[in-house]
Amino acid sequence: MRTIDEAFAPPGEAWQSISSKLVTARRLTLSIVLIPMLALWAWLAFDTRIPAWIFPVVLIVSLALFGWAWWLIGRRVRSWGYAERNDDLLVTCGILRRRLVIVPYGRMQLVDLTAGPIDRWFGITTVQLHTAAAATDATIPGLEPGVAADLRDRLAARGEQRSAGL
Amino acid sequence: MSLQVDAATSGKRRTHPITPLVQVARSAPALFFFLFLTVGRGGAGGIPAIGLLGAIVLIAGATGGFAYLQWQRRVYWFDADGDFRVDSGVLTKKERRIQLSRLQGVEVVQPLVARLVGMALVKVESAGTSGESTVSIEYLTLTVAENLRAELLARAAGVSADAPTAPEEVLHVVPTGFLIKALLLRGSTFGLLLVTAVVITVSVLTGGPGGLVIVLFTGGIPLLAVFNEFTLFFDFTVARSPDGLRLRYGLLQRQSHTVPPGRVQAIGFVEPLIWRRFGWVRVHVALAGAGDGDSSGKVARGVLLPVAPWPVARQIAAALMPGTDAATHSWLTADPKSKYSNPFQHKQLAVAYDGDVFASRGGWLTHKTSFVPHARTQSVEVVQGPLQRALGLAAVEVHTVAGSVAVVGAGRPAAQARQLADEQAARAEQARRGDRSVRWMRPPPATT
Repeated sequence: MRTIDEAFAPPGEAWQSISSKLVTARRLTLSIVLIPMLALWAWLAFDTRIPAWIFPVVLIVSLALFGWAWWLIGRRVRSWGYAERNDDLLVTCGILRRRLVIVPYGRMQLVDLTAGPIDRWFGITTVQLHTAAAATDATIPGLEPGVAADLRDRLAARGEQRSAGL
Repeated sequence: MSLQVDAATSGKRRTHPITPLVQVARSAPALFFFLFLTVGRGGAGGIPAIGLLGAIVLIAGATGGFAYLQWQRRVYWFDADGDFRVDSGVLTKKERRIQLSRLQGVEVVQPLVARLVGMALVKVESAGTSGESTVSIEYLTLTVAENLRAELLARAAGVSADAPTAPEEVLHVVPTGFLIKALLLRGSTFGLLLVTAVVITVSVLTGGPGGLVIVLFTGGIPLLAVFNEFTLFFDFTVARSPDGLRLRYGLLQRQSHTVPPGRVQAIGFVEPLIWRRFGWVRVHVALAGAGDGDSSGKVARGVLLPVAPWPVARQIAAALMPGTDAATHSWLTADPKSKYSNPFQHKQLAVAYDGDVFASRGGWLTHKTSFVPHARTQSVEVVQGPLQRALGLAAVEVHTVAGSVAVVGAGRPAAQARQLADEQAARAEQARRGDRSVRWMRPPPATT
């Protein structure tokens, strides 16, 4: 459906996409839930007091959920995009609930760069823009550290040129 | 001791010496209540009444002594850079510095006890959402407090500090009878009265006395709510002065609030169902830094007019912000398909914009119309949930610094939502360039 996607079309050729390393990092984080899940399976499989049919049902349901989350991470990361225009920055994300945020450079109060332990291990960084409005949610995760630092410096420089009061 | 020498020589000022007494007196009701509970019964827990009395006197004395020390350490002044500074603290020292170009508003409050002895406190608000953004200077005589307010606003507005107090012109006073009538004629009052009637009927039919207790609550809550708002908004006066709109209100605790025109982030008009029949409306303003304070302060500070007929509301809103007359806008109504995504309010949903403001309309029983100046737009967002996606719709949101006014245009055709968002971001950037409201009393710079 062409008309629907018009609302979230990139301003230029295409959205700048984020690193696919984020998919791996998020999937690794997801895999941590496998540890308690293994324990649960083991208990269901070996405890003789539990009816035998429960184990395969739980196994199939939990594996299906796991696979769905695995697949969703990939789609969600691919849905992320950003674009720098002359006067503002655009960030889009989301699959079910699609969002597109436009932040004029003159409105930026500060730019955050964060990287958690798993992110650092994979070499990715999150850039977050803050304005004076608490409702503004402009986050770009999964950027290469060099790209992220460059982006931050560019944004800060443009914000400085156009800074305004509240 | 060096502090005292400074205070005498460098324009540092102290609050009124009566301050510690007023602070102790404000906590007196609790002490008296305790006294009443225990001494009345001749002591408690084996301690004789006289001992309890002694303990209370001791507590009051200690509180007073500490309040005295605090008073001694609290000084405020304007420093060489023109910033407002407050030093305070006995055990922990605190030095605060407020950039006046970031000042959001000044409030003069008279709590009941302070009012009895002619004292007032001055609240200085800077931008920010946490409780840290407000500094309170307590207590000053009413005249000193009003002079301090005038000085702060004059300096913030960029005119000389010894400019005479801005003269004011009263625009509107909400009549007491009208306020009571309007507060009673709201859907919430009727809803709770209905519940009360049902409870009475049921308890009469079943013959059980238990229902009567509930009646006290359901009948009491609307009365209490009306009474609360009545004492808060009693004698609500709006006056115009060069440093902004002055709002004065309150029956027991008198407050006076100045809203500088350049600090208004958004204006909203709210019309409950019954008020619409009479053409009455409540007007809200969103200010940066107005998000903190106690709950009654929160309610009151967002309100520009508790209730007024439309023409008055329009006139007063126009004094703060151009473009707030809904009739002058050409409204873009929502897509007909929005009746599936917003079944109750789709007929009301609309957005509009002109050279000054972006506006949105919505609501089912209670209608809401909100306006945000382009120069106050912080960011713009297009949102599309799964249902809207299926219908080919999207919502456009305009973000401002927090407050009681939300500007959301729901149920737009998706492509139009994106176009509105793009244009609004451009208008925000454009308006920001010409914005000089930070120093709102200075004449505009000569264009070359």
